[in-house]
Amino acid sequence: MKQNNLTQIGLVTRWEFMHFFKWKQEIISKLIMILIAGIIFAWQYFKDDTFDVYQIAVANSNIQLEDTKKFKFKTVTPETQPETLINEESDYSGLLLLTTPSDKQIAAISLIAFDKQSWQAELNEEINKQYRKHAANSLNLNEDQVALLQEPVTIEQQYLDSAVKSDEETSDTIAVITLILMAVGIFTAFGQLFASVTGEKQQRVTEQLYSCISAQTWIDGKIFGQMLHALKAMITAGLSGLLFYAFMAVVVDGKALDFASIDWGFMPWLLLFSALGIYISTAFIAAIAAAIDDPNHSAKTGLMLLPLLPMILVFMTMDDASGWALSLLSYLPFTAFVAMPVKMSLIEVPWWQVVIAIASSLAFALWLRGAAARIFKMCMTMYGKEPDVTTMIVWMIKEPNYQ
Amino acid sequence: MKIIVENVVKEYATVKAVNSLSFTVNRGEIFALLGPNGAGKSSLVKMLTGFTKPDSGNIQVSLDDQQFDAIPNWALGYLPEDRGLYPEKSVIDNLVYFAQLNGMTKTAAKEQANIWLEKFDLTERTNDQLKSLSKGNQQKVQLITAVIHQPQWVILDEPFSGLDPVNQEKVVVFLQELKKLGMTVLLSAHQMAMVEKIADRIMLMNKGEQVFLGTLKEIVKQVGGANQIVAKYQEPLAAETVASVLQDLEHQQINDTSLRVVGNASVNLNLLSNKLTELGQLVSLQSQQLDLHQIYIQAIEQHGGQINEAK
Repeated sequence: MKQNNLTQIGLVTRWEFMHFFKWKQEIISKLIMILIAGIIFAWQYFKDDTFDVYQIAVANSNIQLEDTKKFKFKTVTPETQPETLINEESDYSGLLLLTTPSDKQIAAISLIAFDKQSWQAELNEEINKQYRKHAANSLNLNEDQVALLQEPVTIEQQYLDSAVKSDEETSDTIAVITLILMAVGIFTAFGQLFASVTGEKQQRVTEQLYSCISAQTWIDGKIFGQMLHALKAMITAGLSGLLFYAFMAVVVDGKALDFASIDWGFMPWLLLFSALGIYISTAFIAAIAAAIDDPNHSAKTGLMLLPLLPMILVFMTMDDASGWALSLLSYLPFTAFVAMPVKMSLIEVPWWQVVIAIASSLAFALWLRGAAARIFKMCMTMYGKEPDVTTMIVWMIKEPNYQ
Repeated sequence: MKIIVENVVKEYATVKAVNSLSFTVNRGEIFALLGPNGAGKSSLVKMLTGFTKPDSGNIQVSLDDQQFDAIPNWALGYLPEDRGLYPEKSVIDNLVYFAQLNGMTKTAAKEQANIWLEKFDLTERTNDQLKSLSKGNQQKVQLITAVIHQPQWVILDEPFSGLDPVNQEKVVVFLQELKKLGMTVLLSAHQMAMVEKIADRIMLMNKGEQVFLGTLKEIVKQVGGANQIVAKYQEPLAAETVASVLQDLEHQQINDTSLRVVGNASVNLNLLSNKLTELGQLVSLQSQQLDLHQIYIQAIEQHGGQINEAK
């Protein structure tokens, strides 16, 4: 019976994907993510201003500390024992002990609390603010002068190079996140493909498969299956990062949920370049994995980490986003998939440069598809021996003499 | 629909695995490939399946008015020498996956899998992980994998190995059923008794060359109507005496009082009778036709013995 080649690729892709897809594990991890998201939204929705009001005892203060929304200050006698004042049943969260030598204006302040908590940093900031105000008043400064002193100096950065994005548009964070997500995808493909290819070779499934599909169909299916896993890992890592950011902002810092800083328009480009990059890396890894006869002793395992090299090169050159190094990397077929999205997140890139990067990556991916299949075909039937690197390079370039 | 192999040569670095081999496999027959280890059977099978190509010579496979230089994947069912499926997956998942790769729908694949599993008494193991099955049962699953999609050509490399006698008989029935379904079967095996039962034609290979080819009757004729004479004596025979008297005849001492002499058209029966009488007081003298196993041993020895190792 004849089977359509695309259907065969689809079947191998599904088999490869499902081989590493564990329903139970997936459901549990996604439920945990939903739970965290639920906590964040519930926290934001039900958060009551009176919920986190801290009562602070103040001893020996030379100024009258003003109450804020979060902190209520109550003067106590200097003889008050911290142990009797602050305990788990008490209303007081902390005791401020102030010692101000008469000849000095600067106060030495100790905060005694039951344990370390996040509000203590905020209290520190509040006390500082009130002491600065007190100092200003003692110098007979008016409100405008006080405001002027308290206003931080802001520097708006402007660049002569018009390609560099403004501070509102640019995001070094997104560039770094892009690199991290790519690395996550490649590590996922590396681990799973290594296990999958060497496993199938050891299980002697090769000849049975070769009797119904070609080596090209087999490797195509494996690459697509692992690509899906890598992209799933990248998306999961991205969402986890987003949830972590939201959790820190809303639950820990008590701020409102704000995703305005995320450049959503960049996401389709990131997805496209990621898909190309993962394809290139996965095809390479599959070919090398096929050449490994004994995973415990093969020297070729290290070669499988080569797809991380573009990430390292881009990380080294991204400081100068419009420099020649990153520009060159954004055109080279084996680095464009990571260099271009990083460059796009840092500076304005003309459309034709993006097209060149896509075309270069796509052409390389298509060439590598055939080259990897040639190595794969030869190596999957080699038992007890491994080809040397020179032979593999020759197979990549031209069709080997299938023995 | 047939395979024509003409002067095919396959050479590896140090060994000529297949040497000027020519034969034809006809539609609907069970064609057995015999030969000692390293005879070149697997090299030949790999060329027929298209895994490798001949260094010289031609392989022509005619199928549905089309010509191919090897059996195309879509017409092939194959049990490889290097066996293996996915041990972590269930029996049914393995079968359905390979059937789908070979063009079946999921529903049809499941239906066929259940039919074949029942024939091999494996219905209760349908959803078990393959690795939980015994080696013999795993072999049966792999046999089903080779034929579930009802290919036109089936190549089975050592289908009896690893099976107990009861299951070997089941495989014989299985092969006969494949023939009834119209499949052409090419198998390589060492179990002569099984091959004798089912093969329409047999080809013996040694050192990459064809030693004999034909039906069992034709082969017996080719080796000179081969038969054996078993002589039993009243008194024990001395090995040296037997060797000196029967020096020019192929013989084997079965025990102290019996010996076997291989006879063929070139043996003068009167002379043989005289020599056997010379050895001692005969109790009985029986003539039997050689079975395939004995013909095989004899033919390989006449062909210069087997080579120890081939790539």
